[in-house]
Amino acid sequence: MLDFELTVNGERHAVRAEPRKLLCDVLREDCRLTGTHVGCEHGVCGACTVLIDGRPARACLTYAVQMQGHEITTIEAVAKDGKPSALQQALHEAHGLQCGFCTPGIVMTFEAYLKENPRPSEEAVREVLSGNLCRCTGYQNIVAAILRVAQAASDGKA
Amino acid sequence: MAKPRFRHIGAALPRKEDLRLLTGHGRYVDDIEIPGALHACFVRSPHPHARIKAITTDPARQSSGVVAVFTGADLAQWTTPLRMAPPIEGLLPVEMTTLPMDKVRFHGDPVACVIAESRYLAEDAAERVEVEYEPLPAVADLQQALAAGAPLVDESLPSNLVSVQKYSTGDVAARRREAHRVLECAFHQQRMTHLPIETRGCAALWDEGRQHLTLHIGSQVPHPLRTQLAARMRLSESQVTISSPDVGGGFGQKIALYREELTVAAASRRLKRPVRWREDRMENLLAASHAREDSCRTRAAVTKEGRLLGLELEILEDFGAYCFYPANYLARVVAMILTGPYKLRDYAFEVKVALTNKCGNGPMRAPMAVTSWVMEGTMDAIARELALDPLEVRRLNMVEPGDLPYTMPSGEVIADITPRETLEAAVKAIDYAGFRGRQAAARREGRHLGLGLCSVVESTTYGSKFYKAAGIPGSGHEAAWLRIEPSGAVNASLGLGATGQGYETAFAQVVADGLGVEPSQVRIQLGNTDVAPYGMGSRGARGGTAGGAALYLCARDASEKVLAIAAQMLGFDSAEGLRMVDGKVEREILGERVETGITLAQVARTAYLDPTALPAGMAPGLDFSKTYDPPPMTYSNAAHACEVEVDVETGAIRILRYLVAEDCGTVLNPFVVEGQQHGAIAMGLSGALLEHMRYDEHAQNITGSLADYLVATATDLPNFEVLAMHTPSRSNPVGTKGMAEGGVMGATGAIANAVNDALAPFGVLAERQPLSPDYLRSLLRSARRGAR
Repeated sequence: MLDFELTVNGERHAVRAEPRKLLCDVLREDCRLTGTHVGCEHGVCGACTVLIDGRPARACLTYAVQMQGHEITTIEAVAKDGKPSALQQALHEAHGLQCGFCTPGIVMTFEAYLKENPRPSEEAVREVLSGNLCRCTGYQNIVAAILRVAQAASDGKA
Repeated sequence: MAKPRFRHIGAALPRKEDLRLLTGHGRYVDDIEIPGALHACFVRSPHPHARIKAITTDPARQSSGVVAVFTGADLAQWTTPLRMAPPIEGLLPVEMTTLPMDKVRFHGDPVACVIAESRYLAEDAAERVEVEYEPLPAVADLQQALAAGAPLVDESLPSNLVSVQKYSTGDVAARRREAHRVLECAFHQQRMTHLPIETRGCAALWDEGRQHLTLHIGSQVPHPLRTQLAARMRLSESQVTISSPDVGGGFGQKIALYREELTVAAASRRLKRPVRWREDRMENLLAASHAREDSCRTRAAVTKEGRLLGLELEILEDFGAYCFYPANYLARVVAMILTGPYKLRDYAFEVKVALTNKCGNGPMRAPMAVTSWVMEGTMDAIARELALDPLEVRRLNMVEPGDLPYTMPSGEVIADITPRETLEAAVKAIDYAGFRGRQAAARREGRHLGLGLCSVVESTTYGSKFYKAAGIPGSGHEAAWLRIEPSGAVNASLGLGATGQGYETAFAQVVADGLGVEPSQVRIQLGNTDVAPYGMGSRGARGGTAGGAALYLCARDASEKVLAIAAQMLGFDSAEGLRMVDGKVEREILGERVETGITLAQVARTAYLDPTALPAGMAPGLDFSKTYDPPPMTYSNAAHACEVEVDVETGAIRILRYLVAEDCGTVLNPFVVEGQQHGAIAMGLSGALLEHMRYDEHAQNITGSLADYLVATATDLPNFEVLAMHTPSRSNPVGTKGMAEGGVMGATGAIANAVNDALAPFGVLAERQPLSPDYLRSLLRSARRGAR
């Protein structure tokens, strides 16, 4: 067992865990942030995607102990004061989720992506989204929601 | 027919479920914190078929953090076996113990369960359970299964053929003799798995004081699951609560009571401690539930004009090693509904199901997925054989509105469907008329386009009469309750199990119309057997039809009582002319709606807290329940059209356009329905193009990760165009017909027909799925060899 500190969503968490414990398990069990879902444990499905220093990463392919000194952001930090982000709101309005299990990973992926690529093409959105598996929606409404956010952002700037 | 006018049903209301799911506050089984819970991990067979000679658990028991190790012998003391023996002609009875004791039957079969303080420690210890196996020859496919002297997967059976059913009506032999042509077609649908993104899992809590078991589990069918679990643990149904909170997808995988779940529940009772289990993805792929793997052949007798005179169908299904369902259950429906929208009198089928050393089969979204590919592929074959237009062949054979209700040759009755309308709308929208020109022009540039059509008649909702006729014990009814609380708050529930269908929203709309409140006033409570009424759960596409009708009728009962009380409060003799809109009671005076000033909250307060003010003889409270048994079968229909481009050098398929014209009756919430249409088509295309659960020739599963089992990603799928052509059903109180599986059926057929249209100049025909680049290239290579 090791004692170490993690910074998650701006808060410091004292963690006592084995070095082999995965970041997704520490987030869920030790930090009690269960919004990060575990779908495959081999980095394919993308459900466990979190941000490490602002960049999307698979929490199932990362040991928690490696994350000392890094900033972790999870789905729980995306809505501010109970107000959903523009992306979360768009997914709601476009019916971009059904069972919702893959949704946190998709939100985290695109919260980061849209910051760096505010006006992506549909093709680019689909290419990035191909790293997240969704078995319910057929992706169309997710893509529409993301493009809607991008459109609104570019309208706002115009 | 007077079309019911709805105020809230049919509105595109964004879902009530979304906020919690979007913000990471959903409550899937693993999100439930259970202090002191132990973790289970299963030891699984590396052999497809082997005798269990001995299991040594001591080293595992001594491993760090381990509390117990259980084997089949332990479970046999605490649980009863599953016997699958419905009185169905041609189906042999089978039985399985909770964990295997004598032999393992597939690669992944669970042989022991380690229970430890953490998942990590349980997995460590599972590696230290020593199982001595004596490998047996294995049955890896249907050919091996049916070979003379084949090893027996289930030694209680005389052969691996567990079910054979035959049917014949009319005289197909005579039709063949008088036909202009008789043509044979083959369709092989590969083995697949459901792949919910949330794998199977559960958490069992045994309360020693109350002698009560609570099982948190993602389930589509909470009540039938409770019945099974209680029986197999020798508990009464009062001693078991199933709690199924948010569920990360089901698609048919979360219906059966699996052996692992029963083991975890029994372990919790034995240890008097909470035990939880979550399978990893490899276990989910290897050992949860598989589906499909049907080899189908048709023989069609046709006239020169392309009219279908007689049709014969053979299905051979690879059911895997264990029967969690009656083995004929899935394939038989294909045979029952094969002919769909086409007129035919002379029909015969033979459905054979065999056991193999593979993970057992279960119903996967559209258990009858192969149906429309088989029928519509046969239609295309007729057109090819006779050099006719495939659309004309369909038009010639399809039922006319005047033919309805129409009795299919299997005896199934279709009514209130619109196959001609949806077909014509689809071919118009995809510019069928202009396509051949586009196709010819593209071919001149070396590009190979194809267009595929696929009409679907979807069996959505099974009534009790259907089950009775099929010899399957069980019911098709659904149950609802509705309670208006003293404050006027409305709680309602159903026996369905939500896995993403937006029930909390769509059913609030149903209550809103039935009762006369706003959807925001209604809370739908699902997934807990102590709260919800006993219903048959979510399977097929019965939620909206059976559940929606039960809840609507229940809400109408509630409305009647509410208005009777309101009438009394207003000093009227009767409730005639009263109605409630958005929680306010109105009165009709000379065709004008006038507010009475009475609200639902006032009525509720009277009903609960001032019962002496109620009409004479009326019981206090506002608590209602209702069950609804739908007709034997409800059908909806659709026409799919798909345009593809095949790269003949690489075998890659690009979907250029995909559209569906669908009639599923009254739509409760168009958002939800369109989402289901997208999802079903996506699953159909994913299966037709990519998915393949593969075993090698020794029956070793070689598809243990998501790098091996491919499913469609966002770059594999197009945008879908949806033409909503809904006409209400006359047999359902709300007018719904059901949907959500037909998209899988249509996509499976439409893409195959499109690809074969594109490949036609090469003289090759894809008869197998998935339509992988490898497979298409092998066809094209063989064609070129043939040309030389």
